[in-house]
Amino acid sequence: MLRVKSPQDFGAGLVFLAIGIAGLYFGRELAFGTSARMGPGYFPTLLSILIIVIGLVLGLQGVTVEGPPIERVQLRPISFIIAAILIFGFLIDSVGLALTAVALTVFASYARHDVKPLESIVLGVGLALFTVLVFVYVLGQALPAWWGR
Amino acid sequence: MELDLFQNLATGFGAAVSLKNLGFALIGCLLGTLIGVLPGIGPIPTIAMLLPITFGLDPLSSLIMLAGIYYGAQYGGSTTSILVNIPGEAASIVTCIDGHQMAKQGRAGPALAVAALGSFFAGCVGTVFIAAFGPPLAAIAQQFNSPDYFSLMVLGLVTAVVLAHGSVIKAVGMVLIGLLLGLVGTDVNSGLTRYTFGIGELWDGIDFIPLVIGMFGIVEIIRNLEQSTLPRTQFSARLRDLWPSRKDFQDSWRAVLRGTGLGSLLGILPGGGAVLAAFASYTLEKKVAKDPSRFGKGAIEGVAGPESANNAAAQTSFIPLLTLGLPSNAIMALMMGAMIIQGIQPGSAVMTKRPDLFWGMVASMWIGNLMLLVINLPLIGIWVRLLSVPYRLLYPAILLFCVIGIYSTNTNMAQLVLCAVFAVFGYILLRLGCEPAPLVLGFILGPLMEENLRRSLVISRGDPMVFLERPISATLLAMTVAVIALIVLPQFRKTREEAFQE
Repeated sequence: MLRVKSPQDFGAGLVFLAIGIAGLYFGRELAFGTSARMGPGYFPTLLSILIIVIGLVLGLQGVTVEGPPIERVQLRPISFIIAAILIFGFLIDSVGLALTAVALTVFASYARHDVKPLESIVLGVGLALFTVLVFVYVLGQALPAWWGR
Repeated sequence: MELDLFQNLATGFGAAVSLKNLGFALIGCLLGTLIGVLPGIGPIPTIAMLLPITFGLDPLSSLIMLAGIYYGAQYGGSTTSILVNIPGEAASIVTCIDGHQMAKQGRAGPALAVAALGSFFAGCVGTVFIAAFGPPLAAIAQQFNSPDYFSLMVLGLVTAVVLAHGSVIKAVGMVLIGLLLGLVGTDVNSGLTRYTFGIGELWDGIDFIPLVIGMFGIVEIIRNLEQSTLPRTQFSARLRDLWPSRKDFQDSWRAVLRGTGLGSLLGILPGGGAVLAAFASYTLEKKVAKDPSRFGKGAIEGVAGPESANNAAAQTSFIPLLTLGLPSNAIMALMMGAMIIQGIQPGSAVMTKRPDLFWGMVASMWIGNLMLLVINLPLIGIWVRLLSVPYRLLYPAILLFCVIGIYSTNTNMAQLVLCAVFAVFGYILLRLGCEPAPLVLGFILGPLMEENLRRSLVISRGDPMVFLERPISATLLAMTVAVIALIVLPQFRKTREEAFQE
């Protein structure tokens, strides 16, 4: 009976395997060509095969050699941070940098457990003023400042 | 030759000493020190964040500023390592060991001073190193043909993988994934799009900045937030007697020399750079010490050696980029990205076509090191006070700067989605024990490697023997085999593991 001895290696093997197979699958319509005349699919296919080999080796290592466990994934930080990034993308064009900065700060602060709403709002307003001043006025970046474009 | 060197340096100082460029060197050094002091943000995301701002600058000013961030972070990192036992930056991890012990014994002043003076000395030597070895290497590089470039990249990537810490096979996998990601977009030869999934934003390829910020900047924030105790800092040691005693000097000058030499050499190697140099120097100091048991209990050599080494390596790691067009670590990959954005293809041509750029950068490094000495020693109190800013106030700011950096390169929602995707991807891979740095190296080299492979095989009509028939290429491949052989040798493996274990 096979037992996963090193979850990190085994997991990495699966990820690599998936990427290699995806590389082959989504590149299947690209012409391979010949060595003398490499088609657009030549190098990607070569790389995908090598990635699959690495994935297999790691998978094998995962069931034969003892290794450290995978640390527990905490959902709270990653989901709030990722959401904050996407919220920035949704808002910036319609409401401008100042309001978006406040929204991002408040949202990002919920990535931690003991949130202090008032503190986050004050921080957000401070950061909004700072970034509008520095990025829009001093550095002249192409960002809408106070309201959408 | 000798005369050339001085003439070249004169050109460089001429270019670097303009008020504007001095200003940018100062901004770079200040920012570098700042992020070096602050835990939770390193030079990689900072440089990536600032890339968009450099679009409007001229090439020399932007490179001067970005380089300043890199070596400035080496100085700043040592400050927090010594005072509060928190490495502000990966290259300063070893400095914590003896540096913080010294601080506990009330000798923080001498530790900081030795770190800064050693760094300054190493920075000066590193600059001379670049000036002396740059031109001959560039001359060799001019003989290179496609097969030689391909083999050089193979050697560079293999060495980078062997010298990086963590599992070698995972690092190889990460390099390959990076190469594959680098191919996304329109194929220059056939005009076909590859792996774009019908998304128009991907036709020009995956943007460098969202990838780097996602995998380094954002992942770092998430990881810090997962720790039950956020990076918190309590500074208690008092800064009296900043100046080291005579005995301190006697104890440390040899370590500074050894660290500088070791760092300069390791910096040139692909995959080397500041982190490896610092670890290697600490191991060396422990080996040559008469009484190794002093290490870990506040041995000044344990601060002087690694701090000199990481700064020397930070300087000399520019050599392969500026002469061969080969980035030796993730930061150099970013510098390469910055040069390409400015329309400059890094490589030997930079030295002949834009001597002011090459020598201006070299000169600015020396000036920057001098500035850092001034910034760090007298102003140390100000930097330390910054540490009292709690992380819960810091990370929303870092996150905001990251997304503004991405959005201002390309005012497009897709860039932020890409950043989010790479953040999740990088997070998963890190959980599985895969470091992101090799992926970035592969990513930037992907298109170049494919193009040189294609050209080589066109020349040879599809015969792969071309890589062995050309002497330069064959030599480079022989070196690659030697590097691979090294990792298989049990003796080397043991040393490698030890070096990263400390």
